[in-house]
Amino acid sequence: MAGFRDRTAVAGVGYTRFSKDSGVSTLTLACEAILAALEDAGLTADDVDGLATHRVGDSAAPSVVGPALGVHRPSWHLDQFGGGSVSHSVIGQAALAVAAGVAETVVCYRAINARSEFRMGGTGRGLPVSPEVQYQAPYGYVAPPQQYAMFARAHMAKYGTKEEHFGQLAVRQRASAAKNPRALMRTPITLDDYLASRWIAEPFRLLDCCLETDGACALVVTTAERARDLRRPPVLISAAAWGGGDSFLSGGPSDVTVTAAAELAPRLYRQAGVGPAEIDVAEIYDCFTYSVVVQLEDYGFCAKGEGGPYAASGEGIPVNTHGGFLSEGYVHGINHVAEAVSQLRGDAGDRQVDGAEVALSTAQPGYILPATSALILRKG
Amino acid sequence: MSAEAIRPVTDRDSAEWWDRVRAGEFALQRCGSCGTPRFPARAYCHRCRGAEWSWEPVEPAGRIESWIVSHQPFLPGVREPYVVVMVRLAAAPECVMYGNWRGEEPPRAGQRVEAAFTAVDDGLTLIDWRPAA
Repeated sequence: MAGFRDRTAVAGVGYTRFSKDSGVSTLTLACEAILAALEDAGLTADDVDGLATHRVGDSAAPSVVGPALGVHRPSWHLDQFGGGSVSHSVIGQAALAVAAGVAETVVCYRAINARSEFRMGGTGRGLPVSPEVQYQAPYGYVAPPQQYAMFARAHMAKYGTKEEHFGQLAVRQRASAAKNPRALMRTPITLDDYLASRWIAEPFRLLDCCLETDGACALVVTTAERARDLRRPPVLISAAAWGGGDSFLSGGPSDVTVTAAAELAPRLYRQAGVGPAEIDVAEIYDCFTYSVVVQLEDYGFCAKGEGGPYAASGEGIPVNTHGGFLSEGYVHGINHVAEAVSQLRGDAGDRQVDGAEVALSTAQPGYILPATSALILRKG
Repeated sequence: MSAEAIRPVTDRDSAEWWDRVRAGEFALQRCGSCGTPRFPARAYCHRCRGAEWSWEPVEPAGRIESWIVSHQPFLPGVREPYVVVMVRLAAAPECVMYGNWRGEEPPRAGQRVEAAFTAVDDGLTLIDWRPAA
């Protein structure tokens, strides 16, 4: 994939307001975020020839959003089924389409009313359709926080990872969110606040869990060459990787503390021609605190088993500078990429990482839907 | 755990496995070509891709891989808190199975456990787990 590296770029980002009740449809949210991203890039909907999203039956499809914005015959679109594990592959696939010349200007979006309309995990709608559900739901095991708590406990049992490690991470992400005007939760918290928050599914408390959020975010992907002529500094897509992992029900790995990210990371770094030491900032999928801990290990920032103390120390790679899903809001992966873009453009304001030139952003590492995806972005 | 269990939505691959559980049998599929056991039920072996297989009753035992204590109400008709365990099967180390915990003391990582068949009604039996005797 050397021919892919740095040939495409993110030329614009756009957001809606994040809230607990948007009061509007996901179609409206999608259009608002896309128009904002196009405005950011100095483009209009007339320039768009591709649309891409991921969703789980809970949001407006490209075939609806395109016509709603007057994009009637896009030359490429992607309507990816899936949750957080595919979020970054949507952007990677858009970059492939642009690199291949199938489309020139693709908007990638995720629009979600995850609090007011479609809550994840069996609260507010039917159970997900997956063959594995029949072996789990009868035991009351249905929701992502339960599933992640199960894997977090295994990590705690094997490596001595402590709840305080998760707590310190949550405290630091909230401190970052306090510097982010978009963030839903900006009031600082302490480790005592964390430890006093109610149990959701032991070992997880409320403050281990992401925010259920209404909102949308969009990115404009185009060629690196074209992006250089647009309004904002281009952010190059150096690498995009995705792939399947193993189900933990059968024929899977014997160690549940290792995720699909461990397999993906070497491919991703090889594509970009960098390693973890060259990464300046990491926006890591944090559906739950533990998701960050295990990915810090599997993307090579620390050794396997050391993710808890590493995340708690705050002395390693800057992580989730926007506050992440825990404190900014949950837009199913794309807002992590948007924050990485902001860091590399140098417009992240009070939360700017000095001299950030290379960023990693990752998707759900493959515990629930056994797949993951990730991007490495570079200042243009 | 539950006042009324969430009934499994079985499929064409799994229906017979559920029938066997209802009859009190703890069975896995075993590949007719390479002998690899597998769960959940499906047509092809993930190791050798062989399509020949048979049901094989195996030791209803394993070890605790992990567990949670669930407090948040996620489902109607369920009494919280309750414990869900993930068990790595003795007869199939590549496979894990879930269930509710039927022990007096909290589970421990690596603890040896055995299946506890729980008849919900005439049409449904679930597999729970308790400390090995």
